[in-house]
Parts: sequence; C-alpha cells; structure tokens
Amino acid sequence: MDYVSPFDERRRAIEPLAPRRKPLREATVALLDISKRRGDEFLDRIEARLRAQGAQTFRLTKEIFSRPAGPEIIRRIADRGDLAVEGLAD
Amino acid sequence: MTAAALPRLELPSVYGSPVRLDELLAGGVAVVVFVTEECPTCAMTLLRLAAPAGDLAAAGISVTAIFEDPLEVAARSARGTGFRGTVLSEPEPYELSRLLQLQSVPTTLLFDAEGSLLRRVVGWDREGLDALLGQASALAGAPAVLVTGEHPQRKPGCAAKNTYDPETLAILNAAGPHDELEDMFERGWSDGLPVIPPTRERVEAMLGGRDPSLSLGEVPPAMGEATLERVASCAVLAGCRPEYFPVVVAAVQAALEPAFNLNGQAVTTQPAGQLVILNGPARHSLGLNSSIGALGPGSRANLTIGRALRLLISLTGGGFPGKLDRATLGHAGKIGFCMAENEEVSPWEPLSVQRGFEPGTSVVTVVGCDAPLSISDHRSATPEELARVLAAAAAATWSPNWWPLGGASLFVICPEHAQLFGEAGWSKQRLREEMFEAAQRPAGELRWGETTPLVHAAPDDRPISKWCSVEDILVVVAGGEAGRYSAVFGPCLGMQTEIVSKEV
Repeated sequence: MDYVSPFDERRRAIEPLAPRRKPLREATVALLDISKRRGDEFLDRIEARLRAQGAQTFRLTKEIFSRPAGPEIIRRIADRGDLAVEGLAD
Repeated sequence: MTAAALPRLELPSVYGSPVRLDELLAGGVAVVVFVTEECPTCAMTLLRLAAPAGDLAAAGISVTAIFEDPLEVAARSARGTGFRGTVLSEPEPYELSRLLQLQSVPTTLLFDAEGSLLRRVVGWDREGLDALLGQASALAGAPAVLVTGEHPQRKPGCAAKNTYDPETLAILNAAGPHDELEDMFERGWSDGLPVIPPTRERVEAMLGGRDPSLSLGEVPPAMGEATLERVASCAVLAGCRPEYFPVVVAAVQAALEPAFNLNGQAVTTQPAGQLVILNGPARHSLGLNSSIGALGPGSRANLTIGRALRLLISLTGGGFPGKLDRATLGHAGKIGFCMAENEEVSPWEPLSVQRGFEPGTSVVTVVGCDAPLSISDHRSATPEELARVLAAAAAATWSPNWWPLGGASLFVICPEHAQLFGEAGWSKQRLREEMFEAAQRPAGELRWGETTPLVHAAPDDRPISKWCSVEDILVVVAGGEAGRYSAVFGPCLGMQTEIVSKEV
C-alpha cells in the first residue's frame, strides 16, 4: 500500500563529534544559563569546581529558556569555549 | 577478513526517517544483523543481542537489525524481542542482501569505520557472536560485551529472502495476514488512538489540488518541514474530511508563527496543549459544534481539526510524549482540542472581531493552554457576584499562590451566564475589568508555598492582581443553552507565548 508519511524524511547530515581535546586544567569552559530559576546557583557551583581544577570559565545567558539559543550566543561559545555546560531545568 | 563492504544504500527505518547505511559507521564500527520475522533463530538472536546492543549503543557503537520484512512487521517483531537498536526494513528485491551475498538469516556482520566487512557470523553461533562483539568493542575502545543465554551453542537459521525464487516470494507475500490499522500503530503514525491510513488517494483528496510541496514552515521541536502534503497526511490520520483542510492549514500557520513559540510549548514539562478556536461562517459550513458539549466529544469536525494539528506537532515535529514532549502529566486535550464560539447566543462581539478581523470572516485562533476548569454557578443573581465567582476560579489556575500569572486566561462563558451579563448591559470589556478587580489579594495572604518574586517583595497589605493587565483576560461564549457551567483554561507560562489568529 502506498502511504504518505507524516514524518519529515529529509536527509540530515550527521555532525561528527568534536575532538575530545585538552585536559580540563587547560580548557576554557562556557557556562550557559538558560534563564531557568536557580540555574545560576547550579552554574555557580559548577564554575567553582571547574576553576578549582584549573579551568578558565565564562558565562552566557539566554534571554528565555523556551527558545533556542540565538546565533550570537552560539558564536561566542564556539569562538571562546573548548566545551560548554548548560544549566537545564529547575 | 572478507572483501565485501557496506553499500551506500538507504533503508526505511521504524523511527520515521530512512537511514543511509554509511551513517551507521559514525561510532567507528557497526554491527548489522539480517533477520526475518518468520525465522525462530532470528528471534532468538535478536533476543540475546538485546542486552549487549544496549551496552554497545551506550559506547556509541550502532547495532542494527535489518528485517527482510515490511516496516510494520519489523517494528512489531523487534519490539517483541526487546531489541532496542536501530531497526530497518529491506524491501524487495533485497538488493542489499544480494550485494552482501547473504545465504541465510540470521547473518551478523561487523563493519569497520570505512565500511569494510571484518567478520561474518551465520546462524546462531554463540562463540562466533561473542568474538564479533568483542572485536567491535575493542575497535571502539569500549568494554567487552557478550551475548546472553547459555544454550544452544549453535542453531541454523532460514534461507535469506534474496535467495527465494519470485514465485515462492509472491505466495509468501500473499499469505500473510494484514491489518492496515494495526500497521499504523507499528509505524508510529498515531497518537495512541486508531487513525485513518493516509493512502495517497486520501491525501490527494485532502489536498484538493493544492501544491503538495508548498511549505508552511518547520515544526518544532525537531523542525520537521510542514509541507502541505505532510499536513494533509496528518489531517487524514486525524480523520478530517477534505473540506476541513483550510481550517487545519490556518491553524498550522497560526501555530508556526514565532510569537506562538510552539517550540517551548512542545517540549515543556507543563501540561499545555494547543487549543484551536474557530469563529465565523466556517463553523456552520463545516458542522462544528459550538453548543451542547462544545468542549467535549461528539463532533467529528471539532475533534479531528484539533487532532490534525496535534499529530503534526507530535509526528512531523517530533513532539511526541516521552520523547521530545516532556510533559509531566499532559491532559486529554492534547490529543486535539478545537472549539467554535457560539456567536449566535453571545451578547458580545466574537473573539475574532475583538482581535481585529471583519465580522463574517472565518478565523482560527490558537491558544497555548492547560485543561479547562469547570465553574459551576447556578445561584448568582447579579453580574457582580458571577464575575467574582469566575475570577475566583481563575485565581486557582496554574498555582493558587502564583500572582500575577504573567500570562493569559481564556474564559468560556456558557450562554446562561452570558445572558445574565448581557441583560445587565455589561459589555465584554466590563466583565474583563470586573474580573480583574475581583481577583486581587493582599501580598501577605499569598506569601506561602511557591509564589512570585513580586509577592515576596511587596508589603503585606499591598493588593496583588491575578493578572498583569485586563488584556490578559480572554472571553468567548460557547455551550448549550441550558446549564450554568462556564470554564476557564489554565495558562501556558514562561514561554513568551502569544495568542495568534489567522484568517481561514
């Protein structure tokens, strides 16, 4: 039987995993606050632990948690960060 | 080592999108097992591969079952064995099986990152499969895994279908039981209820000559493209008649407006669904019910139009409960929720006119909202009393202490309640203002449990309103002419979601 699928069957290129690179003490970590309640508290704790291990950190904040991060935030993470930690949920 | 390689073919997947075989190599190696439903050795092999396949998947190694069976049979059979790897279906004439020179099933193959065949195990061969899985783990740097089960050590399988002669294949294909409705469940083309199979003929009838490739945009959260053909497929699945399609299309267009923020609504842990409200002459021409049971069952047009939008979000958009839709509870209206305003008994202008459309125009309005809360009031004698009752009910929505909501409340006023307001000469705006004034409490009474930063910061005696402004109160009229039951819909909050209207 010939059916019309409700799914989008377009091909999507699979992004290869980024190389696992520097040890943490040499890494710069982007900490992304998605603007959910208490996300900043979670990231404060993570940031302290990362810094204790020698990592550099920098913080970014999404305008609202319910929309995808804008291209500017993504660009800043890609430009400066070796890896990123996102504080999800509350 | 064998010289064969994994061809760059594409096979249908039980998860919707087809899979190109070289994508299976993304983890560095790929384990592929060819099976058919009819073969008991295949079932045993899948059963005993289920656990190691899960371990290998966790290490990034794909384990794929390729069934020489139709997609729905593959899905059913894989689920029956507990196999959780990738499940693909190889259609006739079994080109892939021929290229890989299959003689029987099960045959398990190991490919390296370049797609070269490293190892082949034919039938159930416990030692052979353990060695194959061990090699896969070692190549990927993952912990070694083993198949489960002790006996037997070896068991032959069945002939692979690429070796069948055409006459035998035709007899086998004709003999199999086929239940089209069950097949829809197996494909995952359902919201949990039976659907109408979207045959090409039905979808073309739904399209009514419209361009099937026309795109209405991408549907969050997985950003599947809403071509008219896919929207029509969802409308057929939902049970729509072709004449409903313009309303479905308008509802999709409204829901895909960025201001509606369907992305946030589709993935939230909130229960919110998408309510479609129809105004104008299309209510009558399509047979929507705005009277007795206006929010309930009984009307094909109401139920299927709302369901078509929800199926598009769940299937095309990937917002399926438990997958990308993370609603803690959800509610029954998320199957589909479409209502029509009972403009004929309303003392006020319709919602569509209030939102700037010409009277007599058919308009859909989409609202992200929770389930309706019924408000029974058979005794209020004055509009002031009734407005207070309605406002008090709305005060309990979202959370009794979350003031102000920071979002919109939709009231569905039943005709008897509307009549009381109308006979007192209250405009819709007056009702909104009175409810706004009635839903205020001193901050001190709200400062327990979870409440808002505004309440925490305010002095005890400062009055706090349930809404930020009168504009956050929407009013429509619907329901049967007997009975004093109105309703208020809880909001969808924190999403920056706006109410959006589109002309049909």
